[in-house]
Amino acid sequence: MTTTAYKNSAPFFGTRGLGMALPSLFLLVLFFVVPVIALLLRSVTEPEFGLQNYRELFLTSTYSRVLYNTFLVAGLVTSISLFLGYPVAWLLSVLPPRKSMVIFAIILLSMWTNLLARTYAWMVLLQRTGVINKFLLGYGFISEPLPLVNNLIGVCIGMVYIMLPFIILPMHATLRTIDPAILQAAALCGAGRWQAFRRVLLPLSASGALSGSLMVFVMSLGYFVTPALLGGANNMMLAGMISQLIQSLLNWGLGGAAAFILLSVTLALFAIQMRYFGGSLMGAR
Amino acid sequence: MLLSYDRMGSLKVFLWAITLLICLFLIVPILFIGALSFGSSPWLIFPPPSWTIKWYQQFFSEPRWINAATTSFQIAVVVMVSSVLLGLSASFSIVRGTFPGKFLLRTLFMTPMILPVVVFSVAIYMLFLRIGLGGTFIGFVIAHTILAFPFAFISITNSLERFDKSIEDAAILCGASPIQAVIKITLPSIRLGILSAALFSFLISWDEVVVAIFMASPTLQTLPVVIWGALRQELTPTIAAASSLLVLLTLALIVFAGVFRKSLTR
Amino acid sequence: MSQSFLSVEGFKKTFGDVVAVDNVSLSLSKGEFLTFLGPSGSGKSTTLYAIAGFDIPTEGDIRIEGKSILSIPSHKRNIGMVFQRYTLFPHLTISENIAFPLRVRRRSAAEISARVKEMIALVRLEGFEHRMPSQLSGGQQQRVALARALAYDPPVLLMDEPLSALDKKLRDDLQIEIRRIHQQTGVTILYVTHDQEEALRLSDRIAVFNHGRIEQIGSGTELYRSPKTRFVAGFVGDSNFLRVEQVSAVGRDEAIITMPDGTLFDKIPLQHSLFGATQTCEIMIRPQSIRLAKDDEIGLEVVVLDVTFLGESVSLYLATKWGETLIMRIPERSMIGSLAQKHIRIAWERNESHLFFS
Repeated sequence: MTTTAYKNSAPFFGTRGLGMALPSLFLLVLFFVVPVIALLLRSVTEPEFGLQNYRELFLTSTYSRVLYNTFLVAGLVTSISLFLGYPVAWLLSVLPPRKSMVIFAIILLSMWTNLLARTYAWMVLLQRTGVINKFLLGYGFISEPLPLVNNLIGVCIGMVYIMLPFIILPMHATLRTIDPAILQAAALCGAGRWQAFRRVLLPLSASGALSGSLMVFVMSLGYFVTPALLGGANNMMLAGMISQLIQSLLNWGLGGAAAFILLSVTLALFAIQMRYFGGSLMGAR
Repeated sequence: MLLSYDRMGSLKVFLWAITLLICLFLIVPILFIGALSFGSSPWLIFPPPSWTIKWYQQFFSEPRWINAATTSFQIAVVVMVSSVLLGLSASFSIVRGTFPGKFLLRTLFMTPMILPVVVFSVAIYMLFLRIGLGGTFIGFVIAHTILAFPFAFISITNSLERFDKSIEDAAILCGASPIQAVIKITLPSIRLGILSAALFSFLISWDEVVVAIFMASPTLQTLPVVIWGALRQELTPTIAAASSLLVLLTLALIVFAGVFRKSLTR
Repeated sequence: MSQSFLSVEGFKKTFGDVVAVDNVSLSLSKGEFLTFLGPSGSGKSTTLYAIAGFDIPTEGDIRIEGKSILSIPSHKRNIGMVFQRYTLFPHLTISENIAFPLRVRRRSAAEISARVKEMIALVRLEGFEHRMPSQLSGGQQQRVALARALAYDPPVLLMDEPLSALDKKLRDDLQIEIRRIHQQTGVTILYVTHDQEEALRLSDRIAVFNHGRIEQIGSGTELYRSPKTRFVAGFVGDSNFLRVEQVSAVGRDEAIITMPDGTLFDKIPLQHSLFGATQTCEIMIRPQSIRLAKDDEIGLEVVVLDVTFLGESVSLYLATKWGETLIMRIPERSMIGSLAQKHIRIAWERNESHLFFS
């Protein structure tokens, strides 16, 4: 008695819906997965088969310094952003919507403004004849212009500037979920403000802070534009080194190896973030 | 008391102080660039001796700036369209599909967002060198689409997941074929997600620097590439003009999208 | 079979190992209002969705006017449906929502606007033509959904718990509306609900679902007065169940029962043959059937645990000697003094009670 029944609300274009995803899949595999794997393969096959590229990267001082510098900067930027961003996230989480709207607008605007424009601004501000030095000289705080750019300080300032929104927003999201009544309960139990902060608020907000920090750290590791423009020859970071190795020196083996190191650290940290924090995803630019 | 705004006492002052400083820190450089672009000093002396619009005139008259801007715009438009189309199809597949490995596929779709762009740039630069797509319009579009696609995918998927499929079923019962129901009912219902996807995709392509640096050829340069080149050579105020225009465009697009969104959710 | 308008034959639906619906058969006549009544997960919505075409039966057939509809895709079945979540098209106005099925069927513009007007008048929403769904209340949205489902004059209208998202007063009002619309249009309606009061108010017949099967189909009166299974007895109308120690048949449809405390009652109606009856037997007595036993008749000795005043009736919470509890309901005016903590003897209309075996 059963005739062939018609199933009508199935996704179209066959094979249970997979068909619709094929164009995107092909695009990503052909132009993303394959090239990246090919690049990594080159790192172990050029100039000859083996891990000598990696040995060179880790053992030659020029290259290992870059690795060290990259992690140093990423660490500095992350810590500074964390300390500066936490109070802002805190305030945002307790403010009523109308007051916090302006602050949010500023944060979002700064996030979406062109990266080059923002970095350029700091290049100008920090130069020897720039506003900051002129201000400090003019008021007698210093007698000679400070070297604020083309060095570690410039890179850190510039990167913190970029990364702040990326750490404020997730921390704010976490802080928002904490019920204020918990802190009130802590006060009723007799905890002073510092104690309540240390024993209650900090642990509860730790996951948001750590998750945001991890994200900022990962982004800082792979950043290209800002360190290249604001840093000097002595503080080249991984991304800049990869670019130079390949574009200028055409050393695909070493470049590929450096890229693989960056890639694997990024993936490892991301895996940690997914596992422990169910991380949200933001891009590295 | 730590999380109750009215009972925070002196803590409030401390938090406000830092927040205001940070807000200044965030906004002043942008405003500064805007001011600089009107200053007459070619060495970016601030405060400038006088005000002028010649940097903007220079921007609009010099071929390298205008061509780059046009190129950027063209690429961004094509990227926007292709990213949204791919995002739509991928989204429907993931949200409605019943095939195994959905989670893996979904993760794959997000990877361009996670991995450092420089690695992708180098890899695709290598590929394009081999197949002759380096420095071509198509090459740019492909690379930028890959970068923009995850954002489009996430935005549309969020909207689609929130969409109540019973509404689509109701349309089918009303007599619309499944495809008709999607076109007439589902797509209009998720238009906010599609709009966000389009906006993100456009901005990501428009602002994109790293891939562009690798992809650019003397004949095909996007605006960020020209700015980048100029930044490494000399810090002329024309860059300030270009940057301010970039900021204004972004701002305009976001405001426009906001207004558009308001009118859609009347 | 040829007289029935809509028929379901041997419908079975499995999801993997889970049998959601097992061998359900029913038939509706044209213009009838049939309700699927049952708890969640009993298979009533699954059956409804199969009729709509959203699920393919694992076994069985569904026919309208004698012809199987299984091979027809949902959008060609010409069936109207109202869902629990209003499912109005959010980006279209009320008029556009109602016009949508007509547009899809390529009716002329004049025909469409006339019909839309008619439907809006039918559900009494004049003046709301240009509003958006988000501007309407839940009850109003449901009326629009109804108008949209009826706009193209479907032979069958399916309704899946359309009122359960609304509050009580609104539900009552809309029930009256639905009944009025049914009488006015004469459309055949299949209604799903878990609320037995709603089922009793709206339907011509009710099919009681439990664990994927229909336990009984009949009018509300039939289900109330002659429940065939223990489940139906407990689900439709208020009921008390008391354990019975011993049952002895007297003739073919009467029995003498012995309660656990030894009290004997005769002239108890017996529906099923006692042969093959398994272990337990229960007697079902409606709270309204219970009264105080007269001095010269056999009564069950109970203790009054609590008395609750409910307005037009009084509810007494009683306990038997062997510890089972039951509820007795009497009209307020027949309340005799204060009965709390008193020992009383109760009796009931014998022919209103039922025996169930399991």
